[in-house]
Amino acid sequence: VSLDLRPAVPALIVALAGLLALLSQAFTPRGRRAPAAGLALVGLAAALVAVALLASSPDRGRSASLGGALAADEFALFGQALVLLVGILTVLLSPSYLRACGLERGEYYALVLFSLVGMMGLVSAREMIALFVALEIMSVALYALAGMRREQVESQESAVKYFVTGAFSSAFLLYGIALLYGATGSTSLARIAVALSGAAPGTRTLALLGTGLVLVGFGFKVASVPFHMWAPDVYEGAPTSVTAFMAAGVKVAAFGGLLRVLSEAVPALGSSWRPVLAILAVVSMVGGNLGALAQGNVKRMLAYSSIAHAGYLLTALVALPRAAAEAVLFYLVAYAAVNLGGFGALAALARDGKEPLSLGDLSGLARRRPALAAALTVFLISLTGVPVSGGFVGKFYLFWAAVGAGYAALAVVGVLMSVVSAYYYLRVVVFMYMREPVGEDTWSAVAPGAGFALAVSVAVVLFLGIYPAPVLALARLAAGSLH
Amino acid sequence: VISDLLRQHLLSVLVFLPALGAVGISLVRREDERLQKLFGLGISGVVFLLSLLLVLEFQPVAAMQFEERCDWFPSYGISYHVGIDGISYWLVILTTFLTPLALLGSWESIHDRVREFNVFMLLLEAGMLGVFVSLDLFLFYVFWEAMLIPMYFLIGIWGHERRIYAALKFFLYTMAGSALMLVAFLVVYKVAGLNSFDIPRLVASARFDPALQMWLFGACALAFAVKVPMWPFHTWLPDAHVEAPTAGSVILAGVLLKMGSYGFLRLAIPLFPEAAVRFAPWIGLLAVVGIVYGALVSLVQPDMKKLVAYSSVSHLGFVMLGIAAFTPMALVGSVYQMLNHGISTGALFFMVGMLYDRRHTRAIAEFGGIKNVMPWFAALFLLVGLSSIAVPGFNGFIGEFLILMGSWSFSPALAAVAVLGVILSAAYILWMLQRVLYGEVTHQENAHLKDLSLREAAILVPLVALALFMGVASPLFTRSIEPSVQALMRQVQSRVPHPAAPVRPAPATAQVTP
Repeated sequence: VSLDLRPAVPALIVALAGLLALLSQAFTPRGRRAPAAGLALVGLAAALVAVALLASSPDRGRSASLGGALAADEFALFGQALVLLVGILTVLLSPSYLRACGLERGEYYALVLFSLVGMMGLVSAREMIALFVALEIMSVALYALAGMRREQVESQESAVKYFVTGAFSSAFLLYGIALLYGATGSTSLARIAVALSGAAPGTRTLALLGTGLVLVGFGFKVASVPFHMWAPDVYEGAPTSVTAFMAAGVKVAAFGGLLRVLSEAVPALGSSWRPVLAILAVVSMVGGNLGALAQGNVKRMLAYSSIAHAGYLLTALVALPRAAAEAVLFYLVAYAAVNLGGFGALAALARDGKEPLSLGDLSGLARRRPALAAALTVFLISLTGVPVSGGFVGKFYLFWAAVGAGYAALAVVGVLMSVVSAYYYLRVVVFMYMREPVGEDTWSAVAPGAGFALAVSVAVVLFLGIYPAPVLALARLAAGSLH
Repeated sequence: VISDLLRQHLLSVLVFLPALGAVGISLVRREDERLQKLFGLGISGVVFLLSLLLVLEFQPVAAMQFEERCDWFPSYGISYHVGIDGISYWLVILTTFLTPLALLGSWESIHDRVREFNVFMLLLEAGMLGVFVSLDLFLFYVFWEAMLIPMYFLIGIWGHERRIYAALKFFLYTMAGSALMLVAFLVVYKVAGLNSFDIPRLVASARFDPALQMWLFGACALAFAVKVPMWPFHTWLPDAHVEAPTAGSVILAGVLLKMGSYGFLRLAIPLFPEAAVRFAPWIGLLAVVGIVYGALVSLVQPDMKKLVAYSSVSHLGFVMLGIAAFTPMALVGSVYQMLNHGISTGALFFMVGMLYDRRHTRAIAEFGGIKNVMPWFAALFLLVGLSSIAVPGFNGFIGEFLILMGSWSFSPALAAVAVLGVILSAAYILWMLQRVLYGEVTHQENAHLKDLSLREAAILVPLVALALFMGVASPLFTRSIEPSVQALMRQVQSRVPHPAAPVRPAPATAQVTP
């Protein structure tokens, strides 16, 4: 058993930063603000450096810690770097929003960091128990974060709903893991795969059942139809900066974990889970987009849109193991930037506990906050999948992967649903640009930190749309390390 | 050195200079509206002058010229590949020519958010030029879709009463049309197995099973038919054209509509020739229905702008008829007619806009006797009208004549019905001119309208001059179109041994053009 802890160093740094952020609260005199946000930023930057060092080390990919449970291969490093960047942007977005909502509490940053530890584990785990523990670390912190606005009923509802459905999905996942263990005698992804190749029919059936339950568990986490019911309420009720973090981070981590399980543990059962994923993809694309059409609340609309995007991502998973993994990874980068930006833009306007929620609240925004409106437009265009944006290139590769594997029908559904989505995304643009402002300007000016985070998101989205080659190359490298 | 570098990258400069200009304008202070306008006009003017270098250097041969090529994302076979041949050459010039005029035309009619207006106009120009020069399917699609966004804003922000509805309708229609085209491109990439999205390469060596071709051609044809627009996919057009600000209508009619027919010639036909031949009779039929339908609807419009909008459906029907006929003469006529329509309909929209600026109405009934108060305007309006009717001596005549002549061998019946469109177009244009320009001044408000300003004359005179010049000196233009058209014919004939419409050796078009 190797006790090499190097692969776990980035996550350990983040965990340490989380503890320090929590402690800083206790040691700050009354009436002064704890330097929690600063600590979090430093910790995240240090973790990013650690990831970079691991990526440049000569034995990259071969080292694994805790008896092979945590990997430090290119896939894990890519995923960790991505969730760390999500974390950094979240921390930058948060202070002004928390101030506007009276939520300035040190434990906020600690919880964000702890959740990040879980996300980092989820993309690196090569063992089912580690995977489960990572998922729980991520989720438990998020339950608390979703309920941070204690005085608001919606926030409480969000936390409870998220917790109950989350616990429910964890049970599915755990049961699935148990069945897989029963079938193969192991919880290591690699050994499960070995045991399943050429397994007896009875074993296969048991493993198939287990895989199905694992898929249900992940289906909840990525908010795919029919496991999506929680998403609109949770996204709407949670503080917006948390929604941004959740929308971007959880999607990245959960899809990362799912990718690894599908390609490393149960590739032998591909002929069985492929059609299931194809169905999930179609119902998610259709359900998410049709649901979003009916929403007047922007946060809810974006929640349904995240369901639809889970569907787009699933179309590529159907095409595993070929070009699909890299397409998914690339899309996740674009998706994370867009969602952080989109929810972040709403959060940046919050003042006195109020934030823009309805379309009418955004009326004439282009006159009052031209830069912010332009940024939000870029995000919406990217979500629609129109060039020149990362969302377009991302969708192009997702569908490219699906068509390449012979699933052209999925791509057809995908592009048609993208047209439907254009309607509700553009409706926001209509309000911002083509209607006049109503009443007093009650929204906040954009704080420097949030402004910087939004600018970075815009830059990422446009860069991915114009010159995707470098990120694609990284995604390809990362996808190549999946066994 | 600089001139060499410019020569080698001329097309890229044309495409990206407007985009850079847009970035530049967005940095100008919001209050400085004059500077923003000058900046926009200046950039588009420079782009036009640079595009004239193409005229100096373009050779009347079939090969792609001014080609540039570099890898974009090599592992996926996507490259930045641009170039022009006789089919796209004049469309590029048309675009660079109309954009500065459109900006000049909105000099005094756009007061709100001038900076954004200029930014979107320049981005639109970059997108349009990109579509015409792209020789890579991915690149083509990127420009094709990206162009929607500036147009969407132009209609939605600066349009008339129902602008929001029109803008959304325009965006959704076009996007719905082209969504399936993306899947078709992906299938082409996969089935061709060349690991390439390069259009010339795919055209030269990709072969598709005829049954699959029908699907692929259908997906592309849908995208292009919406854009043209062909009847019955035209319903977005009246809304978009009428609600758009003048500059938007001019660009929409002048350039955007050409992208559909251009797409057929550049992509759909050469990539899927067997399917194209099988679809041709249906395309021809829809084209003729469009010709007659558009003309009849124009005839009953009480609104001048709507009349001009529907006349586009009719005129583009001619273009599509020529493409469906697929004889050298008809094809040259189609490409020529695309240019003519850009010039004459562009001018018509400008003139309707000028009347609107003065009276804030477009209803024909609100005018009458305008000749008495605006003689110069009336004279030019008449000339533009004649060009649109395709009176001999004007550009439109050459285009429609070539198309009708060339279509006879394809289907005498369709050609005969299409001639009806020529007569009807004379009816609706002349009747409108008569009601607007002639007779007594019927409304007091019209009694003191100002005649053309210098700025307005500077927009219209080049257009009218060009309409006349293209009417008498057509060989100067057709000479460079012909070789590429011939090459396209040869390429399709080599793939389809027994085309549905027998292609006879037609007399060289130079002999029939005056």
